[in-house]
Order: sequence, then structure tokens, then C-alpha cells
Amino acid sequence: MKLRIHTLTGTRFGLALAFLSLPLLIHAQALVRGIVTDPNGQGLPGVNILEKGASNGVVSDIDGAFQINVAPNATLVFSYIGFAAREEPVGGRSFIEVTLEEDASELQEVVVVGYGTQRRRDLTGAIASVSNKEITRIPVSGFDQALQGQVPGLQISSTSGAPGGNTNILVRGVGSISGGVEPLIVIDGFPINNAGVANPLNTINPADIESIEVLKDASATAIYGSRGSNGVIIITTKRGIAGQAKVELDVFGGFQQVSRKMDMMNAKEYAAFVVDGRNNGLLDNNPNADLNAPMSTRPNSFRIPARYLNPESLTTTDWQDAIFRTAPIQNYQLSANGGTENFRYALSGNYFDQQGIIIESGMKRYSARANVDGRLSRRLSVGMSLSPAYTDTDEVNAAGHYSDLGVIVSALSMPPDIPVYNPDGSYGNEIPATDGQVPIQNPVKIAKELDIKLTQFRLIGNLFADYELLRNLVFRVSVGADYNNYRRRYWKPSTLSSNQPMAPAIANIAATEDINWLNENTLNYNINVGNHSFNAVTGFTSQRSSNSRLFASATNFPDDLVANISGGQVNSGLDAINEWSLLSYLLRVNYGFKDKYLVTATYRADGSSRFGSANRWGSFPSVSVGWRISEEPFLKDNFLLSDAKIRASYGLSGNNAIGNYRHIGLLSETNYVLGNQLAPGLAPGTFTNDLLGWETSKQFDLGVDLGLFNNRFNLTADYYDRRNTDMLLNISVPSATGYTNAWVNLGEVRNQGVELAIGGRILTGAFKWDANFNITFNRNEVISLGAEGERIFDGAGRGNTHVTQVGRPIGSFFGHVADGIFLSQAEIETHATQPGVKVGDVRFRDINGDGVINDEDRDFIGSPLPDYFYGINNNFSFKNFTLSVFLNGMSGNDLFWGAGNGILYNFAGVQNNLRAAYTEAYRSPEEPGDGKTPRNIRGGINNNFRYSSLYIFDGSFLRVRNITLGYNLPSVASRKIGLQAARLFASVNNLHTFTSYPGYDPEVSNSGDNLRAAGLDYGGYPLPRTVTFGFNASF
Amino acid sequence: MAMIMKHKLCIALAVAFSCGACGDFLDLAPPSERNVQDFYNTAADFNNAAVGAYAALKLAGLYGNSIIWMGEVATDNTDYGVTRNPVNVDNFQFIDFNYGSLNGVVYAAWRDAYNGISRANHILERIEKSNIPDAQKQQYTGEAQFLRAFYYFYLVRLFGDVPLVTNPVNSPNEGANLTRASAEQVYQFIISDLRSALGLLPETYNNANRGRATRFAAQTLLAKVYLTRKEFPAAVAELEAVINSGRYRLLDDYGRVFAFDNPHNAEIIFDVQYISGQVGQGSNLWERFAPWQSGVAVLGPNGGNGGGINRPTQDLINAYEEGDLRKEASIRTSYVNAQGTEVQEPYVVKYRQFGMLPGDGDSDFPVLRFADVLLMLAEALNEQGRTGEAAPLINQVRERAGLEGLTGLSQSEMRLAIEQERRVEFAFESQRWFDLVRTGRYQEVMNDKGYPVMPHHNFFIIPQREIDLNPAIKQNPGY
Repeated sequence: MKLRIHTLTGTRFGLALAFLSLPLLIHAQALVRGIVTDPNGQGLPGVNILEKGASNGVVSDIDGAFQINVAPNATLVFSYIGFAAREEPVGGRSFIEVTLEEDASELQEVVVVGYGTQRRRDLTGAIASVSNKEITRIPVSGFDQALQGQVPGLQISSTSGAPGGNTNILVRGVGSISGGVEPLIVIDGFPINNAGVANPLNTINPADIESIEVLKDASATAIYGSRGSNGVIIITTKRGIAGQAKVELDVFGGFQQVSRKMDMMNAKEYAAFVVDGRNNGLLDNNPNADLNAPMSTRPNSFRIPARYLNPESLTTTDWQDAIFRTAPIQNYQLSANGGTENFRYALSGNYFDQQGIIIESGMKRYSARANVDGRLSRRLSVGMSLSPAYTDTDEVNAAGHYSDLGVIVSALSMPPDIPVYNPDGSYGNEIPATDGQVPIQNPVKIAKELDIKLTQFRLIGNLFADYELLRNLVFRVSVGADYNNYRRRYWKPSTLSSNQPMAPAIANIAATEDINWLNENTLNYNINVGNHSFNAVTGFTSQRSSNSRLFASATNFPDDLVANISGGQVNSGLDAINEWSLLSYLLRVNYGFKDKYLVTATYRADGSSRFGSANRWGSFPSVSVGWRISEEPFLKDNFLLSDAKIRASYGLSGNNAIGNYRHIGLLSETNYVLGNQLAPGLAPGTFTNDLLGWETSKQFDLGVDLGLFNNRFNLTADYYDRRNTDMLLNISVPSATGYTNAWVNLGEVRNQGVELAIGGRILTGAFKWDANFNITFNRNEVISLGAEGERIFDGAGRGNTHVTQVGRPIGSFFGHVADGIFLSQAEIETHATQPGVKVGDVRFRDINGDGVINDEDRDFIGSPLPDYFYGINNNFSFKNFTLSVFLNGMSGNDLFWGAGNGILYNFAGVQNNLRAAYTEAYRSPEEPGDGKTPRNIRGGINNNFRYSSLYIFDGSFLRVRNITLGYNLPSVASRKIGLQAARLFASVNNLHTFTSYPGYDPEVSNSGDNLRAAGLDYGGYPLPRTVTFGFNASF
Repeated sequence: MAMIMKHKLCIALAVAFSCGACGDFLDLAPPSERNVQDFYNTAADFNNAAVGAYAALKLAGLYGNSIIWMGEVATDNTDYGVTRNPVNVDNFQFIDFNYGSLNGVVYAAWRDAYNGISRANHILERIEKSNIPDAQKQQYTGEAQFLRAFYYFYLVRLFGDVPLVTNPVNSPNEGANLTRASAEQVYQFIISDLRSALGLLPETYNNANRGRATRFAAQTLLAKVYLTRKEFPAAVAELEAVINSGRYRLLDDYGRVFAFDNPHNAEIIFDVQYISGQVGQGSNLWERFAPWQSGVAVLGPNGGNGGGINRPTQDLINAYEEGDLRKEASIRTSYVNAQGTEVQEPYVVKYRQFGMLPGDGDSDFPVLRFADVLLMLAEALNEQGRTGEAAPLINQVRERAGLEGLTGLSQSEMRLAIEQERRVEFAFESQRWFDLVRTGRYQEVMNDKGYPVMPHHNFFIIPQREIDLNPAIKQNPGY
């Protein structure tokens, strides 16, 4: 407040002075005041105001106000990121009001690139930018979830809907089979380790982010050398803007619900299902069995509990209602921004609390940030960023088989006649299981008693100094550290077991310290001479990272009173230390001629501890060119084509995410027993490979940027061909070597695609409509692998469901092809031999035509990778109201419904199934069902529910991702209540998803970040539908 | 001032951009994992490596799992008491005799035997040039040779001709050059390893080292090799040497031979060692052989579910003669479930350890024991026409089981008597398949009982993976 009075006093004094001097000093400097606003009339802070042709300049304050001493006939140049620059002659005025128009083409926008910034118009690489506004409107815990669908070429999938759940992030497809596939994440110049619990990106508060740049082609990523091949995401956090302090409060709160429920059988249907399944199973295995004989004479698995033979009195429990709830979400952000030209600050504090839609799950984040910049002298400026964050997550064991205590599958597979609570208050369950039932634990009990707690503390700190050695030559030295401390605690009390009334309690803890430090030293040189512009940056960096994971587990708990390892006997412990180091030299040169012909060349050499001693240094060059064709005389001032640029780039980048010590042959612990005591033993576990190194990505990119009708519409299109070679492969070797696998650099994967982004201001009057659309087509193909016909199987622990093979996309589904069911004996007789098959069983295709159905008859039955994915964004505004509608989708990807296979859609009459497994099933020639659903049978010899195309579903979807309705309080009204500005909003996330997938959500996958087995839904945590209300207020 | 400043900065720059200690900075070895660089030097290293070579016995492809399916379930002795489902297809192939080349149980046997061979090869290559004390050098060499022979004997019986790898393989590319050696070559190699080992191995160990291979273990194994090759006089010589050592005898109580609390008893010559205590070295035989999903009723609280593996067939149950004490010590034919109903489901009690946690038992898996020595000697003598000398040997085993001695049998009757005796004496010790194939009786015995066994089943199917990775390897005939 004091500052403001001072300013006013100064203004008055200046005005008085100007008034007095006017008649005498016609050519002298005069004080001009003014205000800069956006088209909505809101003041624009931080606008650069320069006197044309002079070095005189100021920056607008928080209200958009400014004052500058200039000659009365001077011209002022107003410029601001995202707005068209404007020149305004003073014309003797003492007060100037200027409105800046938003620059849709964003050509003037400054884009953050590796080790520097560039004007978008000068870019020759493929780089996409996303602003804070687009990130913060979606109420989620991490920026990764918010980025989904916003950037062409960036494919993000939320594989878990749990608060703080995992995402897959891919830039231009899956580029590695065994190495890392996710992009490098750089925060304010610091390449972080993506280490932590749950989703470590949750430690970064999205509201602190000023912008995100996604570096896609080799020209942009090669400067990151051996870490650039999967793309780079650069996050730039908000820094202080000189001017009066601006204090903002952003609050939202709301609730979340499961977005759809699955249609399971009720108790009476389930009873009939059990009867059919067990009777059919008995007859299949013992053809002479008598169905009317007493149950006790039947083998256990074909017995029918008495209650299902007389189901009239059974009541139905909705187990989905038992585990799902309406869960609150809330977020509070308080920030302050301001300072003087020589000292600027941006401070923020955040509290985020999201409870999960499954009971007993949730996440909280406490975070703060201080970004401070100082100008110590004309030559020297320094800056510092410090951002502590703490997350606290209650994990519920949502995914997985009921025998692994997966809450979702337990709930869905539980016989529906079992109550959540018995009359005596105890939990209802199927333990011990009798009469052929299988043991299923009560999911509410699992959620409440299985205690999994994750905490993470992260501190990213960064310090830099810029010193101008000579004019245009700046030396920067920076030192940073990313300190990460996270732990996961697990406690299973003795009262909880998947199949017993009691089982020994288990506790474990994993506590990890991850420290990553970086020193960078760069020289930056800039010069413009006539038509030539030249910029070069060169540097030397060193980075070292150390990760120490302490793990201990305990058993033999005498009681459940102490719910951690202290209560029992510690029976295993380890300290897994993992370190890596990286030394790099880098160089980039940009050259432009007449702003028309642009060339960029980059080079980086990386030496890494991860590479074998005979192959320790890798080189990564790239070159790119751009031609701003619209600057050519024949296109200049063309009404239709206001801007046009053609770009091309080629370069190499690497992937060093190959594990830390893979080149060193390890010994495995192979203990034995001697003299009735444990005897420690060792044996060679892996080959030594001194040549093992990085994977190389060779990428070509051809792009075009167009602005139409004075940049009212713009279009960016890119074609890319990304070939990843020398891939890290764990090739199979003949077992006779004593090993089964060896790590080598071999093989090639190709991603080829087209990205398209179109945006424009469709209506610009009082009713405004902006829209943008982006779509990416990507084709992934394995070009070569080790041995001929090599197949790399994977299945994220669910058998060999996926295969990676030459000529196919990575991780394609591979299994039997289900061709409907046999409807008559004649059909069986004319088909290839399927041992033990009967009418009503699934018909499997004889792929190799040998007349027998066996393992050789597996085929490619789908791919979890999409043909294309897209996002559609519409923003409407009228007066003070704004409405944004954001859709995203994916098409052509298949999913393996793992929870259906074997459990929820197994037709067996054991676990509860989808209703259709009973209602659509084959019963007799008169009741053939839908022709696809086999008869209900347990233990059938034909194995109807073996892994086959029956369980592969089209995972395409179109999601109404977010709708936000906002209202900007008129300035008069907000000032009345003591605010500078205020905005109210209501938003719905995941309103509806259009899909034919039968599981909860087509995005959810258990395979996490394992892209060799993507698209595997084993009862993963569904994504919530979220309704929030909030306000932003600035003081 | 400005000049000095600039000068200083130039120095700072030069320092920052130079790289004095790059090499060290980039040289990192795993601090939490043992690696091969400094291994195979000291006596302690070789001891650890030898222990590691024994540990291969417990891998899934050997006594950990595969031998149960290949040695027992693939015969008339046992079946699998579990409902068919997509994940146990491989297991049911041992019942249906329709082995697929992707069978994981068969593949594990191939893989893990070679893993054991590789462990032995690494020791043998490095120990020769090492400077460790002679006594230890001899013992570890003998142990490695014994184990290498053991693993090859397992392989050659299961698969016939197999690659003969006698040195460590140090590069991934070498694997494609390994062709199948003839069974004859493999047997000669086994015999030479065992002959060397029995000269190097001690006759006994101190208490802390019990469970390691002795001279007599090598000799018994060698006798089994000779018997398999029908070199009967050679077999007799080795077996008599074992008997004459006087170190082994039949226990009075058959059941005590397998008792979890009676390890290293006087009947055991070599077995696979297990202990409880949740140190990853427990035996799972009791829980896995219990009736499927019998749970608390058979295994007690926290005892697991019951795996239903190795369920005795009615034919085996009937094979026990009236009054055979071994039946009670080996089998139960029913149990009472939690509801008090009697369930007719036979199961194995030979390795019973009530109250153990699943997979954490103490029962050792018998491999070579004195009853086997007696019955092998009876067989070797009978095959040479010395049927009269065979009778007292088989009768020692029968009398311990509470049965009458056999007298006056012809040579062919004695053959069948030995076959029958071995069947019940070694039930659930995974000897049956090897015995029937050795005597050439596998197909006949199985076909008589309605099992669709064919001549090619005298060997198992070669895993497809090995054929795919090494074109020099062709499938066994018949598959």
C-alpha cells in the first residue's frame, strides 16, 4: 500500500513539473501516463512500453497503468506476449489509453527451447506451447493429466483414475521396446528424475506453471543428447513481473463420482448361472455323472450351494455401491507477484485435496514456490527458484485379481447374495469358500484394512547467475538440485486374507532418497548485422544422480496392535543404491537471413556411466532449416496468406533410459541350505557387455506453419519419420548358454505420423468464438529385432497376451481368434479338432490350417496403440460470460479386458459375471443366445475363456473432457467488494465418454508405463466424473 | 577493475569447461549388487559359487517343479486334482499326453539344467588357475563335476541328444553355435565327470556342510548312469562299494526317511535341502500335494490352499499290497472338510508337515537313498542272470515295509517284482518315469492302463524357443 501512495505522489509531482515546463521546453521530455488493456477492458500488467528509436522503456503495472518520460512527439511501442505489438504516437497527449489485440498467430510469442528462448517466427523445429490458462482449467492433480488432448503429437493416457494416478506420456509414439519411452521433463532448465510414488509429477503444482513447451523433432531435442529421443517437455514456472504487488486467491471445490457402473447379475440370475455352470461342468468332465445324485458325491468344483437351488429368498447386494462414493475435491492457491525492475518475485502456496471415488483413497498436496530474480548490476543478474512440495496419498488396492485383494474385481466378482455386513456386524464374504465356491474377500474390508500410505517430499532448487562478458555475450552458470524423499508403507493385518479367516500380518516399508544435482555453464552470443541474425549457445554440463531405496519387511506379528514393521520381526531388508552420471558438451547455432531463411544446427556429446566402457560417449547432431515464404515479395501483403513458413529438420538423439548398470555382468544370489542352515551362494546372472550403449533416434520432420486472413486462422502441420535404432533389447539366447537373455543394442522401431493443429477466431464481435482442433496420426512398426521371427512376449503379469514382432506395432495382442460358438454337432465335425469341444462352446480359428486347434493357432488380434487421437477446444464469450468445451478422443486402439477374461466374463458360474454372460449365453438349440456368448460351464475342456479375441475390445472413445462456464465480475462490482478482479466458474470434467468398451473406462490400464503390454484392464481404478465450482480473485 | 573481473571469469570459464576427472566421474559400479569383475578369486568365492551350483537343484525346472510333472504325473502314479483352466493347460498336457512345444514345465527343465551346468562350468574354468588351497580346490572341483554330471544326466534322459556345453559362454552370440551332441557323447562326458568327482570328493562332511555331494553320492549316481546304459557289471561294482562303505542303512521306519524333522538320516545319500523360517529356502511339497482347495481342513490355519498336484491314482493306491506299511506313510484317500463332510480325494502325506506356512517346509526332496542302492543292485544282478542274489536285496526293502520276502522268482518275474517294488517304495520321489523309460516298459505299462502313450514319449518335446533361437536344434522325432 505504501508503494502505491509513493507512486501517486510521484505522479502528481511529475504532472506538476510537466505542466510548468511545457511552454519553455517544447522538445524536452514530458511525463505521459496511460493504461493498457486487453480487448475485454481488463488492465494488462507486464506490457513492455518503449520509446521508438530510443532506449527508454517501462513496464505496465498490475492495473495496466504506466508512466514514461518521452518527447511529446515520440511514438510508443507496446508489446506483450500473445498480443500484437502496437505503435502509438504520443501526439502531445499526457494520458494515453491503448487496447492491445490478441495475436492469434502468436508469432511474436517467445518460445522456450533447450538452453534458451526463440521467437516462434524464427523456429525451425517442431515445438508446441501450452499456456497456464489451458493447464489450470482442468481440476486435476498434475499438469500431465491437464495436457491430455491439447498438443498434437503428445499422447497422454490416464491409466489410473486414482487421486494422483499414473499417466502414460508419449511424444510421437512408442520409441523403445525395453528402454524408457517417456519424454524428458525439464523444469526451469533442470532435467528432473521422474522419481517418486504414485505419479511423481503431482509434486509440481500446475498453477505455478507459466507455460509448457513440448519439443518433438530432432532439431529441438538433439540439444538434450542422449535423453532427447522420447521428446522433451519443458516447464517454465511463473516469475515476478515488476510492478505493484498482485495478490491472487484461486479456490475451487466440488465432488467426484464414478462415471458409469457395470451391469452385473443380481442374486437370482447368479443362482441360475451357478446351477448351469456347475451342471454343465460336471457332465463335461464326467459324462456319466447323474445330475440328481447328492451334491456330496460330486467333485468339489461342481457342487452347488443349497441356497442357489432355492434362490427365491435371496436378496441382491450392489457391491459397486459398496466401494464407490461421492468424493470431495478442493484446491486453494494463494500467490503474490511483483517487485521492481531490479528485484522481482513470484511466491505461491497451494493446498490440494482430492479424495478418491473408491472408499479409503485420496491424495493431498501441500506446496509452495519462491521464484526470485535480481539485477545486481548492469552486467550481472541472478535468480533463484525454490519449490518444496509434500504429497500424502492413501492408496487403495484397486486393481488386480481378487486373490491379490484387488478391490474392484473383488466387488464385481462377489456373489451378489452376500451382504456387505452380516447381521452381527461382521463383514460378509466367501471365506472359507465351500461347496465349489471360490474364496473372495469383502472389498470394503480390504479397502478399510489394507493400509497403503505413500508420502513424498520434493524440493527442487535452482540458482543461476548471468554475466554479460561483452556486449551480446552472456555467460550463465547454474547449479540446481532435485531432492526427493518418498516412502511407501504397506500393512496387512492378520484379519485380512484373500482366502482364509486369518493370515499372518505383513508389513513393509520402502523409503527412498533420490538426489539429482546439476551444474550447467553456458555461453550465449547474439548479434544482428544488417540482414543477418546470429545466435549461438555453447556449454558444458555435468549431472549426477543417486537413488537409495531402503526396504524392510516384517512378519511374525504377535498381534495387530502396531501397524508397521516395528510390530513384527523384520525378515528382509535392503538398501538398493542406484547412481548415474552424465557429462555433456553442447552447441547450437541459429542463423537467419532477412528473417526469411533460417538455419539451426545443434550438437551434443554425452558421456554416461550407463554406457559400457568401450562405448562411453555418444554424439547427437541435428540440423534444420526454415523458409518464411510469406516474406518473399510475391507473397508479401497477401490478404489470404498472412504468414507462411516451411520447416525441415533431421537429427539424432538418444535414449539413455537403459538402466544404470546393464553393461556390467551381475552375480545373482543363489542361496542354498547346508547343515540345515541358510548357505549364501552366488552365480553369474547376466552377461557382461562393454559395448552396451544408448538407443539412437533418427528423426526427419517436415512442417508448415500458416496464418490466414491476417492471422485470424492458423494452421500447423508436421510429417515425421522417427526411426529408433540400436535399441536396448533383452534378446533371448539359447538356454544352453546358461542364460536365457542378454542385453544388446539391436533392432529398429519406426514411428511415422502426421500432426495437424488448426485454430482460429471464428466470431470476433460481442459474441466471441475461438476454436482449435488438433489431431495426430501415428503408425508404429517394429522394423527389426534380434533373431528372425523373434517374438517378445509380455502381459504385465497376465500371461503372454502381447507380442512385439517385426512388421507389427509394439505390444500387439496375440492369441486365439474366437469365431462365435458352435451351434450344432455338424459345425463341430466340419471344424478343425478342438479337444473336448461341445455344442455351445467357443469356436477357435484354425490359423495354420493343420486341422488341430492348439498354441500354433494364435494370431494378431489387435493393437493397443491408436490410429489417431485428437482434441477439440471451443471457447465462447459474451459480455462477462465465458464458456469452454473441450473434447478429446482416441480411435483405433484395442483393449484387453483382463478382468473379464477369467473372472467377470468367464461364463463359469463361479464368480459373479456381467449380466450378459448369463442372459446371452447358449443354452440349447432353441435358446442359442446371441451366437457369441458360450454356454455357462465351469472347468469345460474347451477352455472357452482362454485368452482370445473374445476379450479384445475396441477402445476408441470420445470424451467430453471438460466444460467450464465462467463469469467475470464487472470491474465496478469487484472493486466494490475490494477486489481488483474476480471470476466465478463452474466446471464438469469427464461428463460423458462415448465408447463401446464394456469395462469402466477405455483409458484405464494395469500395465502402467509398460508399453509392451499396454491396454490391459485388470479392474483398474476408473476415472471420476468431477463437478467443481470456484473463483479467482485478485487483490 | 573490470579487466580483473574479466580475467577471473575467463579462468572460471576455463575451469568450468575443462574436464579433468571425466573418466572417474563416469565410472560407476553397482553399490548394491555383486558383479562378476572381482569374483572367482578366493576360496570363499569358490565356496559361494559351489553353493550356487547346488542351488540350481531347487530351480523350477528341476526339483522346484518340473521333475514332479515329468517324473511322476506323466506316469500311472499320479494326476492333477485341479479344475482345468487356461493357466494350467501346460500341466494337463502331462495327463493328456498332448505335449505342446510351448510347454513351460518342459522348457523350464531344459533351461534350468543348463543354468546349473553353466554355474558348474564357470567354477571349473576359473578354479584350475586359482591359488586356493588344494583341499578346497579338490572338493569344489569334485562338487562342480558331480553337479554338472547330475544336470547332464537329467537332460540326456529327458531329451536325448542335447548340446554339450563344457565351458562358460561369455558372449550372447556364441549360443547359436551349440549343436546337439549325441546321447552317447553326453553319457561319456557324464561318466568322465563322475569318475573324476568320486576321486576328489570327501566321504563325509562336518555338520555345517552336510548336504554337499560325497564320494558315495557320486558313486551312486554313476551306478545309476551305468544301469541306464545297461552296463550292469560296472553298476554292480559302484553299488557294492557304496554298500560296503557301511555309512548307509535302511531306517526301520519308512516314514521317518522323509520326516521333515529327520534330515541327513542314515538312508539318505543325496537329497535337495530345504529349511523353513521364511528365508526363501522352504519346501512346498506338502502344501502343493495337498488336495486342491482343501485349505484349513488338511493344512491347518495359515497352511495354504492345497495345490492338488501329484494326486495318487486309484491304480497306484491299489498297487500297495495288503499290509504294506508304506501306504499309510505315503497316502491318504480322503479328508474331512470344514463342514464335517468326508471328501474322497486322495493325497500325498509323505512330506507332511502340519502347521507349516505354504512353501516354507523343512522336508528335503530325496534324490539318492539307500533303498535305491539296494534295488538298483538287485536290478543289475538280475539282469546278469544273478536272480538269486537279487532276492535278498529286494527283500530287505520289503521286510522294512512289513511285507513277506519273495522267493523262487524267475528272472522275468524278478524284473516285474523290482518294477513294482520301486513303484511303491519311491512313489512321489519322481523316479517312476525314469524307471519305466530305463527298462523300456513305459509305453507298454501305460497303454495297458489306457493312457495314450506313444513311442516318442520316451523323450520329451524340445522347447520351441530353443529351436527358434538355434536352427541347429531339431525337434525330437514324433513331436
